[in-house]
Amino acid sequence: MNTNWLDVMLRRLLGFAGVMLVLSLMIFVLARVVPGDPARIALGPSATQEQVDAMRLEMGLDDPVLIQFVNYVGGALRGDFGRSLISGKPVASEILELLPATLELVLVTVFLMIVISVPLGVVTARYRNSWIDNTGRFFSIIGVTMPSFLFAILLQLAAANFFPGWPILGRIDYTLTAPQGPTGLLLIDSLAHGRFDVFASALQHLLFPALALAMAGIGQVTRITRSAMIEHQRRDHVLTLKSFGVPDRVIIFRYLLKLSSIAPLTIMGLEFASLIGNAFVVELVFSWGGFASYGLEAILQKDLNAVMAVVLVSGFFFIVANLIIDVVLLMIDPRLRFKEAR
Amino acid sequence: MSAPAMPQPEALSTRYMAWYRFTRNPAAVIGAFMVVTVILAAIFAPLIAPYPDHVGAVVDFRNRHAAPDMAHLLGTDKVGRDILSRVVFGFRVSLFLVIGVLGVAVPVGAALGLAAGYFSGLTERIITGFTNVMLAIPPLVMALAIGNVLEPNLVNAMLAITLLWWTWHARLVYRVSKSIAAEDFIEAARLAGASHWHILTREILPNCISVISVKTTLDAAFVILFGATLSFLGLGVKPPTPDLGSMVADGRQFLPEMWWEVLAPGFAIFYATLGFNLLGDGLRDMFDVEA
Amino acid sequence: MGNLLDIRGLDVAFRTYGFRAHILKNVSLSIPEGGRVALIGETGSGKSVTAKSILGTLPGNAHVEGGSILFEGRDVLQLAEAERDRMKGTAFSVIMQDPLSSFNPVFRIGRHLDDVMRFADMRLGERSGAAERQKRIYEVLRKVQLSDPERVFSAYPAQLSGGMRQRVLIALALLHQPKLLIADEPGTALDVTTQDEIMKLINRLVSENGLSLLMITHNLGVVRQMADDIYVMRHGEIVEHGPLRQLFTSPREDYTRQLVDAIPPLYGPKVVDQPPVEGEAIIALTGVSKVFSERRLIGRGSEHIAVKDVDLTIGKGEIFGLAGESGSGKTTVARMIMGLIAPSTGEITVDGVKMAGTGRSDAFRHLTQIVYQNPGTSLNPKRTVGQTLSVPLRFAGLERVRFDARIAELLRHVDLPAHYVSKYPHELSGGQKQRVAIARALAANPKIIVLDEPTSALDVSVQKNVIALLQRLRDELGLTYLFISHDLSLMRNFCSRIAVMLRGELVEEGEPRTVFAKPAHPYTRALIAAVPVMADEEEQMKPSVSAEERKRFLVDAVA
Repeated sequence: MNTNWLDVMLRRLLGFAGVMLVLSLMIFVLARVVPGDPARIALGPSATQEQVDAMRLEMGLDDPVLIQFVNYVGGALRGDFGRSLISGKPVASEILELLPATLELVLVTVFLMIVISVPLGVVTARYRNSWIDNTGRFFSIIGVTMPSFLFAILLQLAAANFFPGWPILGRIDYTLTAPQGPTGLLLIDSLAHGRFDVFASALQHLLFPALALAMAGIGQVTRITRSAMIEHQRRDHVLTLKSFGVPDRVIIFRYLLKLSSIAPLTIMGLEFASLIGNAFVVELVFSWGGFASYGLEAILQKDLNAVMAVVLVSGFFFIVANLIIDVVLLMIDPRLRFKEAR
Repeated sequence: MSAPAMPQPEALSTRYMAWYRFTRNPAAVIGAFMVVTVILAAIFAPLIAPYPDHVGAVVDFRNRHAAPDMAHLLGTDKVGRDILSRVVFGFRVSLFLVIGVLGVAVPVGAALGLAAGYFSGLTERIITGFTNVMLAIPPLVMALAIGNVLEPNLVNAMLAITLLWWTWHARLVYRVSKSIAAEDFIEAARLAGASHWHILTREILPNCISVISVKTTLDAAFVILFGATLSFLGLGVKPPTPDLGSMVADGRQFLPEMWWEVLAPGFAIFYATLGFNLLGDGLRDMFDVEA
Repeated sequence: MGNLLDIRGLDVAFRTYGFRAHILKNVSLSIPEGGRVALIGETGSGKSVTAKSILGTLPGNAHVEGGSILFEGRDVLQLAEAERDRMKGTAFSVIMQDPLSSFNPVFRIGRHLDDVMRFADMRLGERSGAAERQKRIYEVLRKVQLSDPERVFSAYPAQLSGGMRQRVLIALALLHQPKLLIADEPGTALDVTTQDEIMKLINRLVSENGLSLLMITHNLGVVRQMADDIYVMRHGEIVEHGPLRQLFTSPREDYTRQLVDAIPPLYGPKVVDQPPVEGEAIIALTGVSKVFSERRLIGRGSEHIAVKDVDLTIGKGEIFGLAGESGSGKTTVARMIMGLIAPSTGEITVDGVKMAGTGRSDAFRHLTQIVYQNPGTSLNPKRTVGQTLSVPLRFAGLERVRFDARIAELLRHVDLPAHYVSKYPHELSGGQKQRVAIARALAANPKIIVLDEPTSALDVSVQKNVIALLQRLRDELGLTYLFISHDLSLMRNFCSRIAVMLRGELVEEGEPRTVFAKPAHPYTRALIAAVPVMADEEEQMKPSVSAEERKRFLVDAVA
């Protein structure tokens, strides 16, 4: 029956490729209909009309729109998103330089999300309607409803008032120099170079931003895990095991947990989109200087090429994240493998 | 044994059961109370605000950065305006945004979801395909991009949010509509000669209403949150009109000393989002739907 | 005395929505050592709650308010939880009801079996290795006639058929020799032939191992083979109990008599023969096939032949029964006749109109209507009876002023009071909902009504009234029925002609009298033989089926 793996995965990949294509088309069209001449923005108000015309020619803005789109997609596939209208440097290299900072933040965030919310969801479901449940639910609803920027600021205020000296800005202490390569992720690079001082500092710097970023997801995933657990507790298969005296802890931690991880995993995939969005806020508050900060800057300065690239790269990461989750779901839930086979 | 005996097993109406669930849920009742206070504050802002004129471009440098006291319960901002007054008026902007966004996004999303769920084939493929593409866009990034490239103001922010928001409703209603459309009574209506319009509006839609209303209540919270985040990042109402998100952004430069300038509007946002969320959760339990 | 189980004056109440519902009232029941006892009742009578009280798996909002449950003289209600757990699966075991949802879908079957065995072993103070347990489990699986235990062990629940899962559920109950087996409506969701096999299996296991059996069921026919003592339950009370023969032949209570009389007979003097109808053909199928094909991205898609080369003629005024088990294609045939799906090949003519394409033309619209199986989903929960009935009227172009009169007339047809127009479906019982569904079908003035197992979701007592109603309407309004069902005893009495389908093909056709007296096809024989009946005389009149024939049509049972 496992031959369907290939079929199922191929379907997903094709679907995602389609999504990327339509997404780039939408962004491209949006970018072309907005008022303002990209060439003019690039050269500034003092440039002459001849200079602007020359620039338009160079940027291919006078070609038919379809040709422009094909060229754009072709370039994007090769990793070429054009040049920044502001700095004049290739957008791709600028993004590549800043991406590891954001990637590190996001990975730690996702790690925190899973480590905190899954046990919390299980425990609140297990002790339903007790004080444990009420406290857990209280915190998860705060997670869902509190704006990320407020939580980020509260963390900074808390650090300022109660933990003086705890870093609240940047990725690493300014007295340290980060080791170069191979991944750009400070936690890994520092270990690779044996720089434990850098590792410790990076970890310290990461904690608060990652918490602020994870909070919304923690709240959401806890709630979903809890309600999935409760929902499945009512099912006949739980009654089957109970009727034969299989202990509650086995029913919960083996049977229910695996079944109940399907819903939160699905949600986590969708949450990833808002996580990328919230990264903009959190990076701003903690002066993180990553991909999201770059995106915010590009948007505020109307750097069209950079904005398009930022949206596309964000979409790409959303899709990759969901693809990974799909694979995990396929491993967890045999029904997905059989269903698409029939 | 204290409980009264149930007259008959089927005697409990769904309405009674829903109301029972709602009133036994303190969080939902509290949420309802919070929502009502936010709405009342927004409506009667001129009467409630201690300094209604501070909503405008008032400058009172003698009182700038005043900590909370009896004269200014929540302190004053960098030009000496009463923060409480501005917060109360700030609710107006938030609710205006909610009405503007959901007023368009919910009907559009619901209509598309309804159609996609009922008509299989091409209609379904196109609508679900399009919503899937929209889902891949981080909404905040897109809204920032659209709003800012146009011109940062409230209407454009609203436009940007609406452009993205309908997809969530479309997805949800699609799911419900598709499962309802597979029910026997829909086929029976078709066999009875009912038109598509009749089936969509009279047979399927009434079964989606509770899901839509729960989702809309929950969404009110998220629109407020989303709008506040946008204005915190610089895309919001033009000053001097008070806007909770930009008040937080303004106050941030004076941290940690002038904490009230951030916390007052920040917690005001939180109060509104928490209220709508608790209410929505309560409604969800009450109607016993997944939204 | 030698009673294994004694329930004395058991009172159980549920709390819901601030009310207290008294579910079990003073229930007393005894199971002698090695005895077979049946607990019979309709939906909601409290029979499953009784089983859960014994097992100790009542939901949290249930309270035992009085009485005792003595198992070998010890009151299990007084035992500590750990002690009670120790009895699960070892002193008494349950055979769960619904084979589909009784397993966790993301775990393999073997995992369920192993965990149940492992923890029961631990409670009994036995140590067991995984390999040894697997050996024991394979043994039990073979005992329930699953001949390929390795495959079953490593399969996910969705990979097994319903019959196989039901067998695994039985195996689960037999992992440790229990003294008492509680069977909670086993096989109810399965096809008749599979159900019959399951019953025989349980019966054999009980007698071979000297177990006691508590059989919980709503199906009186099943009881005859499965029990010696019978308890009849209604609204949480035991209304009558006694030995099987006495209860079936001379019941004391009206309610019991009603239950017994409601079962349609398969053979014997009580059988009703519907007069043959010599009407002109209203439905004609010639060489009709339907193939569902599935496309795949890579490799070849699969094709499923749902209906294969069916020729069929139904005369005006007939009650034509189409019998067959799930997946036999009978529903597909009906949907093609209604014009909901188009045949892949062949031709369908309904009332002189030739079917073309998938669309239901206007001319077609009023010809055929349908009454569905499940009253719960056949009415829109958000619309009143009046609103539901007005839809066909409106789209048939009736003037609005005449709606009320017509709706009142329709309700009269189906014996519902006129004030039911304003009721919502949740205010109606299952039988009443089915009456509304019949009224809706009548509203469009159809010539043909497809009855898709219209009574299988109803309790037997209600079933009888609905059937009587349908019969009367046919006579009064001159309708033609296409009756789809797997309930052969009902078809024997209700249909003027029947046909049997097997894997998409029509294998038998004729008047019920001849078909039941001399079934031509071996599958028809197997089908009839599997029908549970009420009396030994009927049992003896059933056609005989060789073991080899049975095997041919029950691929399901032996993996």
